[in-house]
Amino acid sequence: MTEEKKNYELIPENYEEEMLKRRKASKIKGRDTKSEDVNMNSLMDILTIMLVFLLKSYATDPINITPSSDLELVRSTSLLQPAATVTVTVSKSAIVVDNKPVLVVKDGKVEASQKRGGEDGFFIIPLNRELVNAAESKRRLASVNPSVTFDGVCTIVMDGDTPYRLLTEIMYTAGQAEFNNFKFATISQES
Amino acid sequence: MAKKKRKVEAMQEINMKPAMNLILILIPLLLTSMEAVKIAVINVATPQIGPSSEAAPPDQRPEDRPLKLTIALTNRGITVFARDQVVENENDPLGPTIPKIEGQEMDAEGNMQNAMVYDLAKLTEMLSDFKDANPAEENIIITAEPNIKFRYIVEIMDSSRDMRDGERTKRLFPNVVLSAGVA
Repeated sequence: MTEEKKNYELIPENYEEEMLKRRKASKIKGRDTKSEDVNMNSLMDILTIMLVFLLKSYATDPINITPSSDLELVRSTSLLQPAATVTVTVSKSAIVVDNKPVLVVKDGKVEASQKRGGEDGFFIIPLNRELVNAAESKRRLASVNPSVTFDGVCTIVMDGDTPYRLLTEIMYTAGQAEFNNFKFATISQES
Repeated sequence: MAKKKRKVEAMQEINMKPAMNLILILIPLLLTSMEAVKIAVINVATPQIGPSSEAAPPDQRPEDRPLKLTIALTNRGITVFARDQVVENENDPLGPTIPKIEGQEMDAEGNMQNAMVYDLAKLTEMLSDFKDANPAEENIIITAEPNIKFRYIVEIMDSSRDMRDGERTKRLFPNVVLSAGVA
């Protein structure tokens, strides 16, 4: 009886509290050591869908234009879709045919020496040479691939500040290389 | 039993890291190369070589001549020609058919500024009247002074293509022919 009493006295007053604390601590520790892997499946699903969407939109664009301060496209209410054709890009500083720089533009004008007939001429010699080559390669492609036809269509990507004079010169030059129908690329407003 | 458990564990541990790396690299790459703007095109033709309109008999009445609707853009405004005749402005017979009006225009920095702008609403209204009188006609010839900027030509093409009246869209003259500049 005396011994029992002794043991009882040895138990501290806050014994229950202490035990509760210990139990809690061991629980937390146990959870940590288990370390479950983060479930990546849903994230993978999102990323895969996004990847497919991006690849699809990347593949269906026939012309890829990056507007910059040098090439500010005009907004239009037109809804027609662009097509894969020969592209003439006219920025504030250069004329480019199918990503190949052809000649320099300064203040909305082409240097007189580059034109047949000088200042008043309409025929831009280097542009015509490049367009004739482009038409030729398209025709050669059409002769071996029946699904390709040369229809004389040319897409013009033009900066909004380009004067009408340069536009007529480009259209005349393209006309001489058998491009008679044009598509002006604009930013769709869809209003 | 133990064997089965091990098999299941092995199935769960497919290493997805290379695939994730690939996808995480491809997505930013495609996002940067993707165009943020939607491109639309306007079809335009150059004048075709054909029989001249002068070949029409001289005794033909003016109403029977082909419409040959022509819009000429100048620095002062829009001049409209129909059947080779200028559509006169009643208030100013010597000036353009539709003179420029006061409005707002975006400058090079992208700020709106007061400027003289083309009266596109009036042009659309006038073309709508022409369309009512000549429902079969689809062609329009656009020409401009050499210094007129390309953006104004596109504005004119937009105004002459169709007219929006609330929900309804009236088709005007969608076939554009660009001709050489005004002398």
